[in-house]
Parts: sequence; structure tokens; C-alpha cells
Amino acid sequence: MSDKTATVIPASDTERPRLAAPEKMPVTQIALLAFVAAALVVLPFVVTGYVLYIANLLLVFIVLCLGLHLVIGETGQFALAHAAFYGIGIYSSGLAGNAFGWPFPLSMLLAGVVAGAVGVVIGTVALRMRDIYLALATFAFGEAMQWVFLNWDQVTGGPNGLRISPARLGDLEILTDRQAYPVVVFVTLLMIALTIVISRSRVGRSFRAVRESDVAAMAMGIPVRRAKITAFGLSAFYAGVAGSMFATFSTYIHPDSLGFQTTILALTMVVVGGLGSITGAVGGAIVFGLISEFLRQTPSYQEIIYGLILIVFMMYAPRGLFAFIRDQMGRITRG
Amino acid sequence: MTLDVVFLFLQQGVASGLVIGSVYALLALAIVVIFKTSDVPNFSQGEMVMAAGYIALYLLVFRSMPLWIVMPATILAAYAGAALFRRLVLNQVARANGSPVNLVIATLGLSYVLRGFVRQTGFGDTPRSFPPVVEPQSIMIGQAAVTTLDLVILATAVVVMAAFFWMFKYTKIGRAMRAVGMNPKAAQLVGVDLTRIHMIVWGLSGGISAIAALLISPKVLMTADMGSIVTLGFAAAIVGGFTSLPGAVVGGFLIGIIENLVGLFISSRAIVLAPFVAIMLVLVIRPQGLFGGRVEIKKV
Amino acid sequence: MKDRITCVWLGAALLAAGLIHSAGAAAQEPGLTEKTIKIGVFSPLSGANMAYGFDVINAAKMYYSKVNKEGGVHGRQIELVIEDDRCNANDLVSAVKKLVEQEQVFMLNGGSCSAAAVAAKDYVVRSKVPWVMLNASADGALYPPTDYIFGAFSITQYAVGGSVVDFGQQHLKAKKIGYINHDDAYGAWNLEAAQVTAKEVDVQLAVESINPNITDVTAPLVKLRAANPDMIAITTYAKPAALIIKKAHELGITKPIVLTVTGTANMSQLVENVGNKDALKNFYVQDVLADAPGGPKIKWVYDMYKEYYPDLDAKPDHPQAYMPYGIAPAMSVVKALQDAGPNPTREKVAENLRNQKFDSGVMAGPIEFGQNDRAAQESTIYLKFDGTQQTLIPGSFQSRWKYKG
Repeated sequence: MSDKTATVIPASDTERPRLAAPEKMPVTQIALLAFVAAALVVLPFVVTGYVLYIANLLLVFIVLCLGLHLVIGETGQFALAHAAFYGIGIYSSGLAGNAFGWPFPLSMLLAGVVAGAVGVVIGTVALRMRDIYLALATFAFGEAMQWVFLNWDQVTGGPNGLRISPARLGDLEILTDRQAYPVVVFVTLLMIALTIVISRSRVGRSFRAVRESDVAAMAMGIPVRRAKITAFGLSAFYAGVAGSMFATFSTYIHPDSLGFQTTILALTMVVVGGLGSITGAVGGAIVFGLISEFLRQTPSYQEIIYGLILIVFMMYAPRGLFAFIRDQMGRITRG
Repeated sequence: MTLDVVFLFLQQGVASGLVIGSVYALLALAIVVIFKTSDVPNFSQGEMVMAAGYIALYLLVFRSMPLWIVMPATILAAYAGAALFRRLVLNQVARANGSPVNLVIATLGLSYVLRGFVRQTGFGDTPRSFPPVVEPQSIMIGQAAVTTLDLVILATAVVVMAAFFWMFKYTKIGRAMRAVGMNPKAAQLVGVDLTRIHMIVWGLSGGISAIAALLISPKVLMTADMGSIVTLGFAAAIVGGFTSLPGAVVGGFLIGIIENLVGLFISSRAIVLAPFVAIMLVLVIRPQGLFGGRVEIKKV
Repeated sequence: MKDRITCVWLGAALLAAGLIHSAGAAAQEPGLTEKTIKIGVFSPLSGANMAYGFDVINAAKMYYSKVNKEGGVHGRQIELVIEDDRCNANDLVSAVKKLVEQEQVFMLNGGSCSAAAVAAKDYVVRSKVPWVMLNASADGALYPPTDYIFGAFSITQYAVGGSVVDFGQQHLKAKKIGYINHDDAYGAWNLEAAQVTAKEVDVQLAVESINPNITDVTAPLVKLRAANPDMIAITTYAKPAALIIKKAHELGITKPIVLTVTGTANMSQLVENVGNKDALKNFYVQDVLADAPGGPKIKWVYDMYKEYYPDLDAKPDHPQAYMPYGIAPAMSVVKALQDAGPNPTREKVAENLRNQKFDSGVMAGPIEFGQNDRAAQESTIYLKFDGTQQTLIPGSFQSRWKYKG
């Protein structure tokens, strides 16, 4: 079994995998896109509020994963503080709504900007670190932020958690998942579009150059420092927006939900979906979000099943679910 | 706070810090041994300790076996389990040639599986312990109270560290491990069997985990989730430089002492925060940790 | 370029569609047929906090089966839909929404984790579904009182913290109490009540708040020793509690130690974990059951468990310590349904719950709500424990904390 796989994929320890670079979309993908769009429109008319709640959560995770994709997949910087930025987003938009009654588009922007600003600071401080050191420094920052959420009682409500008042826009109040859904879908699409634009722009190219090699990027005249800080800031901005999306359909946040587990979940989604591609990040979030929800039905074995899924994926679909499907399809069509 | 109290707190803080720090040091050693040779931060290290602890619990308490059988049996089982995981799973993951982070996700997968299995046994929920390897008796050092068990843990951490340091430096297999850590391709070219070396390294790390489990379980109590203590092992490893064995031990002591002093002089609430602040401060000042080598810049 | 425009256009259309479309009015009394009534049950059935929910649900289940065997409620059989909430806010909310919207249950009976349960508060109140919690204290969802949410069947944390201070003052004549709590929701609530009570009974508190994941408890104890209290109250979970008691002995602290119900899950294992009976020379525990676990007053619960789950009962550590806590909430649900008559509505059931009072025979005090009170159980008992023998201490010890609405 393992020998066969080895012959399909050239074995080499040092060669980096070829990660999908964005290209022009073929017709089949446009058709797929149209199908997804139709499904998104029809969904709220045919399913219960529970399904829409799950959909909303998945969409939040898609945006979280896109942020992680930018900093890890595109720029190759292992930043593991995503839950902290997500939390900053939830608390900023929640507080803006609670205390000042801001309309939600404004508090969303605020959430993104605050998280992004903190991200830029962290990115600047972390410039000299790399690989495991960067990963663990950002991990430490994430844990420290969770502690701050838990202990800064006056602002976050501390261990009591924070009640988030309903998102509003003028006279409109969002009270149900059904009402929140179009907003959440809209913002998600906007963020996906933004990611595509970034990825195809000069900024995206500088990200990928930094990922492949600092030195080479520098030699090509790419401002490596600026690229890294931008990636950090953008990634945090995405997490902040994801947090404020969560705040539109949730009524309560507790620091318990903002620990390393959340970061790891997003990382898992990005890697299993396929590191380095937007489809991978989006698809990984959907597939793993659904797996997690379905596993609630098999309580006593779910940890074992979840662990085995991770292991098997890493053994036999190393470049992600979608690359795996593509390879298999290619093999079938080749006969 | 009077000067007397400050002095008492300092003594107790440093003594307890060294004691709990030796626990972190043991965990850090197990992490560093693997990282040195394969660049993989093992996310399942804590669960390896936990699983070894439950093997020992089963043999000691439920099978009533004597300690002199249980100790080697547990270490052997952990060695075999870890080596097999490397051979059967991680080899395939490495060969499949995805991103380096895939290996990390695979270890994460193992941590879920181990926790799930221990929970299935029904023993995982209630905090448990087994009779300690040495009967803990209170000893006063100055004005600080520690126990005999604490001193044994401390000594073990130092001995394990020294043994591995010696092995890496002076034995053939240790040199092969270092070669694999520096450049696996070159090592392979000069005839090092990569698979074998990786298996041995994982086995040894499993062995350290088992020793740690035998010593610390009565001290920190076992549950299926006790693996989370490994966070502090990672903190110790990173403060010490992540590739340095003496660094891991010093890092462990440092984290332990900082935790205690922060608890005594600042606030008990801040104890859990202290290691993370320590990580950030150390890395901002020295991005490669206290004992790490120079940061390599990735070339083409 | 083209797909960007498509995205924006699509999003705008969705936004418009969703805002116009509003949820249809709820059908009259979901979950109810001539022969059955559907109840949604949820708790952690997996992961780290499984011990808080698994056997509690089993206890509720066996009580419902018993009721069904005896003919049900007004001729209706109780049907349970069980969900795993993983003790986590997002999953708990998704379990609750699934039960209410997809399964269309008549009412809810679930929740073992306080912080997670609070997350469902607004949704449940907006949906007007009666919700009787299992063993969650979830004081954050009980105060301020709502029309639909009822909890704290084991005990409210406001009673835990207040009563232990009262006990220290009355029984142990303490003037200064060292108080160790957690820095989580539970800890915040019991500390608040402890402070109120301490002020009223004129006791000084020296407080150390620790994280549940703490591995080294030396620092807080050394600080408490320096503060020289007359007694130490521990309101932590089982694992830190065992570490603290052990360390206190190592540090030569001989003052009385009182462990609240938060950490008393398995007393024989606690003795083993502490490892030295001398450490328990001056040791008291708080409990909320009518009797010591397995004692004569509540033996029937354990017998029933054995009868319903012989396989589980044979497993180590089963029934789990919190198992009996599942009985009183199920009794409360059944009683409220019975009192609501043959044609129950959610409103009638909620109304009955608000005025409910009965003695469960399982818990230390009566299950009692009131117009401004959604916490079911507020009584505690105290036992002196020497490592083998538990002796009941007579007297009643009350929290002075009151909700100020």
C-alpha cells in the first residue's frame, strides 16, 4: 500500500511541494461556482434555523481559515494566534454594539481594524523569528490573550462572559440565524473575493516569494519585512471580521471558546483542505466543520475517529483533500 | 510584606520552582530529542506521557505487579509504541511529501486517538494516582519545604539530560542522530539508515515520557487530559532554545521558578500566564531561545 | 474581475432575500401528540467534561423510563431526544437549536456546564421554550430571572460560597478564612457570595484565585500560610483540590480544611490522591445530596442504576459521582407536566415551574422556585471526613447573598 503511493509521488525529503498558484478559472469551476451560489440562495428557504446556525458557523470558519491561509499558506509564516485575533474581533464588535449601539457594518469594520492593528504590532515584533520559534511565540501570545479575556473583567466581563446585544442597522435588529445568514454570506463572499484579489496582486506574489525563500525574495527586490507584516496584519484583520460575523448571530461569548483549540481547528481545516490554495481553505473549513458536527452523534468514539481522520489524511492525502480528489479523478480519466 | 516574608517566599519559590521545573524539564527533553533529529514538534508528547501513566496505573494498581517489573515494562511499552508510530505512520506521512506541517498534524491526530482510547477504558475522568516510586517525605531546605520524591524527580531530569547529552556527543548512534538532524540527505548518503534512526529517536522519546509519567503522575494526578501539562514542557524547550538538551533543563527550571515567584509576589491568577510571557520575552530578545544556535536564514 | 462582480451581486441579492423572508410562526405546541411528548436532553457525552454529563443523563433517562412504565404523564409516553453538547458554547447552542427547530421538542432538559449553558440563554428565552437544566449551576442564566429557564438543581454557586463561609464562622469559629477558588465562572459566582456573607458574619477573607489547569499549587498556599487564617475553604474542582490538600500537609498547615461540593466527586479516590491520611486529620466536606453517596436515603437511586444499566454498573468508576444529580431535574420536568394537565402548553409548564416546590428525596434541600428565583436547590450539608468515615455535622449554614434585581 505504502510502496504504491511512494511511486506515484516522487519521494524527496527536502523538495517543497508545488503549491497551487492561482490561475484563470476553467469553465467547470465557473459552473461549480454557480451551483454553490444557487445553493446558498436557496438554503434559507428550505432548512431549519438549526441548519442555518451551522451554516453561519461554517461561514465564520471559512473567513478564519482564509486569514490563516494568507499568513501560513501564502506567506509561509506559522502564526498560531488566530483565536486571539478572532476574540479581539468578537469583543470589539460586541462592545461597540453594547456600549455605543453602533450599526453592525461599522462594528465589523472596527473589529477588523482593531484586530488588524494588533496583528501588525505582533507581526513587527515577530519579524526576527521563524519556523517553530515563530509558531510558539505566537502560540504564547494567543494563550496570553485568552488570559486577558478571562481577567480583564471591566471590559470583557471576565469569567462571567459577555452578553452581546443583537446586531442592528437602523431599525433592523438581527435576532435569528435566518436574519443573520444573508449578512454572514455576504461578508464571506466579500472576504473570498478580497482574498482572490490579494492573491493575484503584487502583494500576493511578494507573499509567495517570501514563502519560498527570504533571501531570494530580498534579491528580487521584494520588501520582505513589509510583506511579512502585511500578511500578519491582513490575517488578523480576517480573524477580526470573522469574530464580528460570529457576533451578529451569537448572544454570548466566553473566553473558554477562544483558546488554542480554536486556532488548531482552523489550522487543521486549512491543512486538510490543502495548504496554499483558497479552495483548500474554504473547502477544508466546510468539510471539517461538517465532520465535527456529525461526530456529535457518535459521542463516545468521536475523539478516536477524529484523530484517525487526521492521521489517514496526512498519510494518504498530503496535499489536501482537493488535490487528492483531483489526482484520483485524473487517474480515472487517464484510465 | 516584611523582609522576613520576602526572604521566605524567595526560598520557597526557588525550591518549588526547581522541583516542578524538573517535571517540565523531563517533558522538554522528550520534545527536544525528537525535534533535534526530525524538526517535528511532537504535539502528542503530552498524551504519550498520559498513556504511559495509564499503562503503569493498570499494571501497578489493577494487576498488583511489583514496581521493579512495572517500571521496565512501562518504559519498554512506551518505547515500542512511539517507535511503531514513527515507522508505520510518520514514515508514510514524510514520504507522501506534503508540507512539513503535515507531520505535526499527524501527531495531533495521535493525541486525539490516545485520549479517546483512555477515555474508553472508563478510568480517564476521575483524577488518579498510583503509589509514588519513592515515599514522599517532607524535607526542609532552609525555610523551604520539599519532599524526597521531588528530589528524585530533579535528579532524574539531570541524569536523563546528561545521558542523552553524552549519547549525542560520544556514541556512534548519537552522532548519526545529529547528522540526520543537520542534513538527512547527506546522512543517508554516508550510510545512515534514516528509518532506523527515526524509530530509535521516537522510541527514546517515548522512554523519557514513560519515566516522566512514572515520576510525576502521583504529583500532578492523572486524567485523560493530563497531557495538557506538555504546554509547559514546550515553554521550557522554547526558552532553552528548542534544540539544546541543557537548554531544555535550564528552561524547565526557569519556567518553574518564574511560575512560583509570579504566584508569590504578583498574583495566583497570573501563574498560568507567566510561562507565556516568559516565552514571548525570551524570543523577542533572543529569537532562537537562550541556548539555541544562530537562526538560519532559509536560502534558495 | 468577472467573478468579483458576481460575488458582490450575489451577496446583495441574498441580503435582500433574507431580510424580506422572516421565520414562519411556530406551530401550536410542538413535540406533543396524543400518545407522546418529546423532550430534548443534552449534556457533555464526550471529551474532557464527559464525567459531568454522561451518567447524569443516564439517571434522568432511567427516571423517565420509570415514569413511562407507570403509564407516562396523562397517558403520554415521554420520548427523549439526546444530544451531545461537548460542554462547549458553540456545540451546546447547536444542540439546543437542533432540538428546538429540527426535532421540535416540547421542552428542554439539559446542560451540565455553566459557562456553555449561559450561551443558550437569549435564544431559549426568545423561543419561549421551557428549559430545565440538568446539573449545571449556570447562575449567569438564572439571574436576572427569566420566564423559561430553571436550573441549579445540584446547587447554585452563590449558595456554595456563602454557606461555606457561614459554616466556618459558626462551626469552626473562624475569624479569618483562606479562600481558594477558580478564576472561571463558577469561581466568580461562589466568591461573590462568600464576600457578601463574610461581610455580614464579620469574617475576613484571604482569597487566592487559581486556574483549573494549574500544576503547582505551592505559591497560593505559601501565601495563605503567611496570612495565617483560622481555616481554609477550597471551592476548586477535584484535581486541584487533591493537590492543594496534599501540599498543605507538606507545608505543615494544620488548620481545618473545608472542601466544597465542586471538588468532592470521588472521595475514596481523593484519599488515594492525597496519599496520606494525616493530611485529612482536620477535614470537612460540603455536600448537596440528602445522604452520603450510597447512603440509605438515596440507595434506591443506585439500585435503580444497577437495574437499568447492569453493564455500565460493572465498569470501573460507575455510576459516576454526579449520577444522582440527574434525578431531581427529571422529577421537576415530570411534575411540571403533570401539573399542567392533559393539555399542556409551554406557557402552562413554565408557569407551573415558576411555582414549583417539592422534595426530591435525593438532594439536601427542597426543589423550590419562586417568582424571582430560578435556582432550584440552595441547601448544603457538612460532613467531617477522616479518610474513611463521614460524620454528619448538625446545623444549617446559609449563604447571605441575595439577588438584587
